[in-house]
Amino acid sequence: MIKMFTEKPITLIGGYLGAGKTTFINRLLNSGGLPSRTAVLVNDFGDINVDEQLIRSGSKSDQVIGLANGCVCCSIADDLTSALETLKSSAIERVLLECSGVAEPQKARVQCHYPGYYPHASVVLVDALNHQQRCKDKYVGTLVAAQVQQADLIVISKSALNPDFRLQTLQPSIDADDQDAMEVVLGWGSESNHGQSIPPNLAPSFFTRTWQSQLPVSLADLTQRLEDLPGSVQRVKGLVATDAGIIEVQRVGTDTQLTPWTQLPHTAQLGLVIIASAADDLASIDWAS
Amino acid sequence: MLTLYKARSIITMNESLPRATAVLVRDGMIVEVGEPEHMGPWLRHEEYVVEDQFAEKVICPGFIDPHLHPSMAAVLLPMEFITAMRWKLPWGEVEPVTDAEGFDRRMGALSAKKSVDEPLFIWGYHQLWHGPMSRARIEEIVGDKPTVVWHRSFHELYMNAAAMEMVGVVAAEIKPGMQIDIERGWFFEGGLGYAINRLNPWILAPEKYAAGLKRLKQVVHHGGHTTIGDLATGMFNFSAEAEALSQHLEGDDVPFRTRLVAHGTVLTRGGVPPQQGPELAEALLQRNSHRLHFGRHIKLFSDGAFFSQLAQLQEPGYIDGHHGEWLTTPEILEQHIRAYWHAGYQIHVHVTGDLGLQLTLDILQKMQEEKPRFNHGFTLEHFGFSTPEQIRQIQALGAQVSANVYYLHELSDSYTQNGIGYERASQMARLGSCFRAGINTTVHSDFTMAPAEPLNSMWVAVNRVNHVGNVMGATEAITAQQALQAITLNAAHVIGMADITGSIRAGKRADFTVLDEDPLTCDPLDLRDINICATVFEGKIFPLA
Repeated sequence: MIKMFTEKPITLIGGYLGAGKTTFINRLLNSGGLPSRTAVLVNDFGDINVDEQLIRSGSKSDQVIGLANGCVCCSIADDLTSALETLKSSAIERVLLECSGVAEPQKARVQCHYPGYYPHASVVLVDALNHQQRCKDKYVGTLVAAQVQQADLIVISKSALNPDFRLQTLQPSIDADDQDAMEVVLGWGSESNHGQSIPPNLAPSFFTRTWQSQLPVSLADLTQRLEDLPGSVQRVKGLVATDAGIIEVQRVGTDTQLTPWTQLPHTAQLGLVIIASAADDLASIDWAS
Repeated sequence: MLTLYKARSIITMNESLPRATAVLVRDGMIVEVGEPEHMGPWLRHEEYVVEDQFAEKVICPGFIDPHLHPSMAAVLLPMEFITAMRWKLPWGEVEPVTDAEGFDRRMGALSAKKSVDEPLFIWGYHQLWHGPMSRARIEEIVGDKPTVVWHRSFHELYMNAAAMEMVGVVAAEIKPGMQIDIERGWFFEGGLGYAINRLNPWILAPEKYAAGLKRLKQVVHHGGHTTIGDLATGMFNFSAEAEALSQHLEGDDVPFRTRLVAHGTVLTRGGVPPQQGPELAEALLQRNSHRLHFGRHIKLFSDGAFFSQLAQLQEPGYIDGHHGEWLTTPEILEQHIRAYWHAGYQIHVHVTGDLGLQLTLDILQKMQEEKPRFNHGFTLEHFGFSTPEQIRQIQALGAQVSANVYYLHELSDSYTQNGIGYERASQMARLGSCFRAGINTTVHSDFTMAPAEPLNSMWVAVNRVNHVGNVMGATEAITAQQALQAITLNAAHVIGMADITGSIRAGKRADFTVLDEDPLTCDPLDLRDINICATVFEGKIFPLA
């Protein structure tokens, strides 16, 4: 009899060089909040810093650092499959994988369909300070744009240095400095995992939906609809055409900000991305489009 | 004791004395080249013997392949070859097999030669020629003899049920989406890693690897080489590789020397900052022995594999709109190049597409502005796609080119159809332009990407005939003289050994490749079929059958 739920989910952490992957992973490792039996795979330990107190004594080698809670951080040095092979028979239940800065999420994702594993979500960090410029780079512009396009969840870093930064696409995104950023990343599941037999404790705990309207709505209506959203809605983000012009919606928790835009940047897409912690609540939102 | 070699003709590759009929050698070093009647002053003072077994032959400088991979070759060479192209191997020429029936016939013959439980590893399959492969097809031919059929590109393989059982593939573990098709026995991309992890005991076992290196030694000799470049030492594992190489490629029975160029990003793996690379590379010099030399050379990587269409292209890119990939993040490549540039190293960068090339040239331009260097030897390795404007840049920046010209032969037809179109496909390996611009230019095999036969590389460079027989980009063809220079003197410059080898003149080592025909006067289409009757390495004759 084959044991149920033996496949381990892999969350990919991607993004170009300097997008803040290592900073984010260091925060994860040092937060003490990693779920038990998580393996964090990084390309090398160069910039990985783990507080000595969090390291299980005698568990540190060139390739592996043991942490509390049965977690480990492993350096894979470009050999993902042999790391996965080694972890397969261990007690590890889930994997966070730091991708190379030049990896495309789609291709990296495919690598995670390794026997015993499945790709859980592709998270891509985007650097608010340099992203726009980098998208125009003749060498990596298409790559950086593709990384964003192929992500299930975007994490925006360094937004304090460029508060006006907005992604021009309708994709679920959070800020790396949000209180719950780690929780959202770990709880994110890719839409394409439907039908996967996922153990209940590892099922996605966040869900997303996009709403787009063909016709302008009244500002009053929009405000009302936002107020009426179920409590499980964590975030709403995007641009909406209203009778009062283009309105930018930014809501985190219950704090909603509506900002009028004088004109729509020609590359921006209209619509809202809604993130909630209950799938049923999202499905029940019944806004005419 | 002096040895006086006599020949029908000696092609010296020394412009000041292009032809001679005799060469005088003492202790592995050439003391004089020219006509026997001029050699009296030496012969009157010392004892000598006349070596006239080559009296009817043509002596060339020992051939050099400046870029191949002994460690990869050692993995592949123990396997059986069934290939669409011809491969001349010391243990027999592999005749091209260009259809499905032929493939099955040869697979059957190979299977019959092995004992029942001895696994059969086949390399060279390509669907374009050999039709769709599957576990059922393999089983129809070999039954339950464990058999692995490896794709020519290395990126996929097929196994029959017996092979899967032998290596421990667990069918219950394989789910849809895994790049493994268990019904067809097909393992590709990510799924290939799963297969290789299980095949390792068979393909990387020390005795297999040793057997592979022994075969490599034969292949190198058979190709007529007296010098090769290992252009990514450490690709698997530094100390294991260095040890194996010194065990098998050093010693009096080894008819060639090897320039070892360390894989730069492996050298600093594990988070060592690139600035410390040169120091680590310097330490490798202590491993040097007579035939195995690290020098102040380093290997770095720009864009993806040419055979997989992962070269990074400038507009208009690939016909189907896909993009290539970067092997190193551009900023990190620049950090590595900067570290070695400032430390005075000769840098070899793997570049395949014109965008990968442009990135590398832009970095080189920056380095020249930071710290101008002359005679730095910066080498562009593989050189698949380029533009005429880049040729000018290469020349202006003082770089050199080491091209895998075989791409043109094997791939230009299929890349015309499924890749980049005729114009650019016909101009891959733009060698004529390089020579016209005065760029030091050589050709290599990147073995096992192409056969390690310099005469074959020369044949492609001179004729530019692809595998279906079309001449591609005729104005980029080079002359036989230029091509011979490419595989001798120019190659010696690229690996930093032109002071000791690459031409035949007084003061250099006595490294010769002895041919039955004259490669500069024969029909250019016969170049790759010229018989090599011997090589001479540092004055010692190594006959070839």
